[in-house]
Amino acid sequence: MKPQRLAMVIDLHRCVGCSACDIACKTENNVPADMHWSNHIIETSGTFPKVHHRYIPTLCNHCENAPCVKACPTKAMHKAPNGLTLHNTDDCIGCKACQLACPYGAIFFNERTPHQEYQDKEPLIQGCTASGSELTDKTRKPIPYYNKERANTYDGVRPKGVVEKCTLCDHRLAQGLEPWCVASCPASARTVGDINDPDSEVSQLLEKYPPKVLNPEKGTLPHVFYIREF
Amino acid sequence: MRFTRREFIQYGSASGLILSNNHGPLMKALEAASLNPTPSEDWRATTCQGCTTWCSVQVQIQDGRAIKLRGNPHCKGNHGVICPRPHLALQQVYDPDRIKTPMKRTNPKKGRDEDPKFVPISWDEAMGLLADKMMELRKQGETHKFGLFRGRYTYMRDLIYSCLPKVFGSPNGISHSAICAEAEKFGAFFTEGFWGYRDYDLSSTKYFLGWGADPLASNRQVPHAISVWGDLMDRATVSVIDPRLSITAAKADEWLPIIPGEDGALAVAMAHHICVKGLWSREFVGDFNEGINQFIAGKQVPEASFNERHSYGIAKWWNLELKDKTPQWAAERTGIPVEQIIRVAEGFAKAAPHSISWVSPGTAMQVRGGYSAMAAHALNGLVGSVDHRGGTVQSTKIPINATPSYKAYQDEQAKTNSKKKKIDQRGTLEFPALKKGKSGGGVVTNRAADAILAEDPYDMKVVVSYWSNFAFSCSETKRWEDALTKLPFFVHITTHAAEMSHFADLVLPAAHHLFEKLGFIKSKQNLHGYVSLNEPVMESLWDVRMDESEIPWMLAEKLADRGFDNLLRYYKESFPDLESGNEPRNGREFTENALKYYTQPLWDSTHEKYGKYGDTPKGWEEFKTLGVWNTKGYEYGKHIDHFKTETKKFEFYSETLKKSLGKHAKKHSVTIDEVLQATKYQAQGELAFVPHYEEPFRWGDTAHYPFIFFEHRSRLNREGRSANCTWYHAHKDSDPGDENWDDVLKMNGVDAHRLGLKTGDLVSISSPTGKMLANLKIWAGVRPGTVSKCYGQGHWAYGNLAAKDFKNRLPKGGNNNDILPADYDRLSGSTARHGGVTRVNIIKV
Repeated sequence: MKPQRLAMVIDLHRCVGCSACDIACKTENNVPADMHWSNHIIETSGTFPKVHHRYIPTLCNHCENAPCVKACPTKAMHKAPNGLTLHNTDDCIGCKACQLACPYGAIFFNERTPHQEYQDKEPLIQGCTASGSELTDKTRKPIPYYNKERANTYDGVRPKGVVEKCTLCDHRLAQGLEPWCVASCPASARTVGDINDPDSEVSQLLEKYPPKVLNPEKGTLPHVFYIREF
Repeated sequence: MRFTRREFIQYGSASGLILSNNHGPLMKALEAASLNPTPSEDWRATTCQGCTTWCSVQVQIQDGRAIKLRGNPHCKGNHGVICPRPHLALQQVYDPDRIKTPMKRTNPKKGRDEDPKFVPISWDEAMGLLADKMMELRKQGETHKFGLFRGRYTYMRDLIYSCLPKVFGSPNGISHSAICAEAEKFGAFFTEGFWGYRDYDLSSTKYFLGWGADPLASNRQVPHAISVWGDLMDRATVSVIDPRLSITAAKADEWLPIIPGEDGALAVAMAHHICVKGLWSREFVGDFNEGINQFIAGKQVPEASFNERHSYGIAKWWNLELKDKTPQWAAERTGIPVEQIIRVAEGFAKAAPHSISWVSPGTAMQVRGGYSAMAAHALNGLVGSVDHRGGTVQSTKIPINATPSYKAYQDEQAKTNSKKKKIDQRGTLEFPALKKGKSGGGVVTNRAADAILAEDPYDMKVVVSYWSNFAFSCSETKRWEDALTKLPFFVHITTHAAEMSHFADLVLPAAHHLFEKLGFIKSKQNLHGYVSLNEPVMESLWDVRMDESEIPWMLAEKLADRGFDNLLRYYKESFPDLESGNEPRNGREFTENALKYYTQPLWDSTHEKYGKYGDTPKGWEEFKTLGVWNTKGYEYGKHIDHFKTETKKFEFYSETLKKSLGKHAKKHSVTIDEVLQATKYQAQGELAFVPHYEEPFRWGDTAHYPFIFFEHRSRLNREGRSANCTWYHAHKDSDPGDENWDDVLKMNGVDAHRLGLKTGDLVSISSPTGKMLANLKIWAGVRPGTVSKCYGQGHWAYGNLAAKDFKNRLPKGGNNNDILPADYDRLSGSTARHGGVTRVNIIKV
């Protein structure tokens, strides 16, 4: 029995480019607004009226041959037995070697303490409107919609001076739940599972449709596979 | 690059897989999970009103805080899925710029450039101030000079929108419907007898023909459409008519990049071609007596030669309009190649009756757009897809109790004054607003500003407006700024200090409709109607009140204190607790009693209508937990020959419209032809009763305003209220052609290069109506000669993020309504924001 190797399959035919995945991920993982653990590539091409437009959802590829892991001097960035590329803020020194090494732009660095908008003290209208800091005071959380379940396996909010990236919702996988981007996709375009299990849905999809990966020439062996066309 | 599965496994085993000795967070989590089983998640049902799909959703609560959203799996409409909008709502309810407490204006001067100098006051004081103003009207016999303006509502709306004004003594409940989609409903009503949004059998259809329809992004049925679209595209042909490459068009088989406003030409030409090729539905429409097709271009057809079945007037329609409207003629006007018009018309007809011609506001909300909507919807009748599997359908029945009569609570002044003319000019010669066929049956929202300014029919003195922002959302915004400046006393019920609030005397913080409010909506998608409850799922952080129930209750109490207790008596006596019979003692009890009363047939097994039309929840508590009630599935065909038209048939020659126009003409002692002239249509004579081509009406001449401007919606717009959310800006490029943290004017590269413009240039966009600024974006998805910008940004108030500078009232991005003229599809009363209603000039700043 082969060890579990997690992978994601994204069906571009089903995907409509709504970016619900990108936003939902932020609500699950308390991600700052300008960091896109779930992200996308957009391309418009052609000349009017023969114009093409496509949206390709992206995320950390949880590469088999992860350049970020190779580059990390402290092993803060590391591979898990199930194939996920995970990060440990305790050992992270914020050198950003991983971010430089990643060809997919999947790693983000916290220059400042994140979620600054919830630390502002100045209300719009004195005595009448709220303020960021008033919200965090009342909710006693770094952001009012803070999801504490993220903190089961990773910092709930990552601090200034460290990187962060998609963990394929390892905290949810640990409970037998799908990553939140998968659960939130209204098109059912994303599937996660064990590609070492021939009966898994991901394996069956990969059997049925010829998959592609991003930048195969980089030799990273990504484990996010794309099937069909947008 | 393509892999076989075996190659994957090889990669897995052969590569230098780094195994970590550090067990890492995953192993820790597995250990932790086994030691401390995760408590079950707390998900609570409520409703999202980010667009008018109105989906049933659930919110996860942790420590009294809302943290995540998902679809409500119990709703058959959106069946557990949601689009991006509900997620964005977290940043609305937890917006740092939300109003916490009632605000009172201390600067008596009003205007765009005046600082209101708001101070916080108590609810008690605020409601007292409003009651004082209203009692002054009572004393002066001027209760009709009170207005209640409605924006985003639930079906608790009657409590504030009709009962309050009518018992007080005003006719002026003014809704926002005319800036929404009324012209679309016009099209369905005067053909099929159905004034409403249609539902569509997306799961069986073989042809989707979308008129400005972009269901993968916006209005309507967005989550359901997204969920089935992959399968739909495998089974059906998708053709999208849209001046820009929308996301639905990008994934479609055919994009018909129509010149804005020419939709009517395309629709009638398609109908012409379907007739000429003999592709109409014999089953639905009927056939020539001899079975030989006499629809020949340019030739009249004797009416008696056609034996019509479930439709009425096909020969008349051909003779009056269709016979000369060839695809070649349409190609010249629409910019669409004749081969494509033919191919799409034939494909649509051949897939029938499993074909959908989906009319959306883009095609309808134009000057003269009511006829475009009729023509585009009439295609369903022509191919027999009406009320048919795979086609377009109406509604399933939802049994709700009616609002109890308030008539007994109207004193003499109320009886008299509530019958006075409404201020929005509905039903006047120029504004028939023929909702459901009745002259003046529909609202003309945007005229309310003109009425206030002209004091015609009278001078409005006290207005309360809720979940609205007409100084942003109505075209030709300057008139609203002026009107609100002039209004002596204005109260805004809102979550944020928006543009409209800027002119207010009192601003009252509203409960957020997704997270903090009790109410209900009725909607439909996926062939099921449903009632979804709005429920307060979290602890409100601020001193907010429910707009439609708690606020009018407080007002009623204050009016009673001042000697007018009719409204309070009406509320108390009409909404007792259903079990105990006790009157409500406060606004919260009033709200709950009213909600239970309205929805009683759905959850109360002792009610005669319980269980007849759908789900059977076991009582109120179970209904609240589920959050939704579903109808039975749609049954096709029941409306055929029972349409609510004059003839009971699907009308190609609309006897229904003829009758309505006739009544309106008679009311004003003119002819129908004179009505059409007064309402800015070109048709005369019998042409007015059939779907026909009307030339687009545009403001601005081509010499001074060389580009046709058109606008579109965003998949992230929660109506106009998303712009203060960081997630809106950070994901804006999910709208094709748009950019994150920007509000771009999209122009074709051919035009940009000719003008020496490049992406990123700041440009001024001016129309005869006004000006706005935006950054230019060269994008191939718009036709040369046209430019487009999304609606939703350009706020100069609302919040720190939405506005560029809140204190100095500087907008971030551009509000399209600053440059759009206040023009109308007058037959429906709709605001004409589409169809390229204005031309613009573009100059680099």
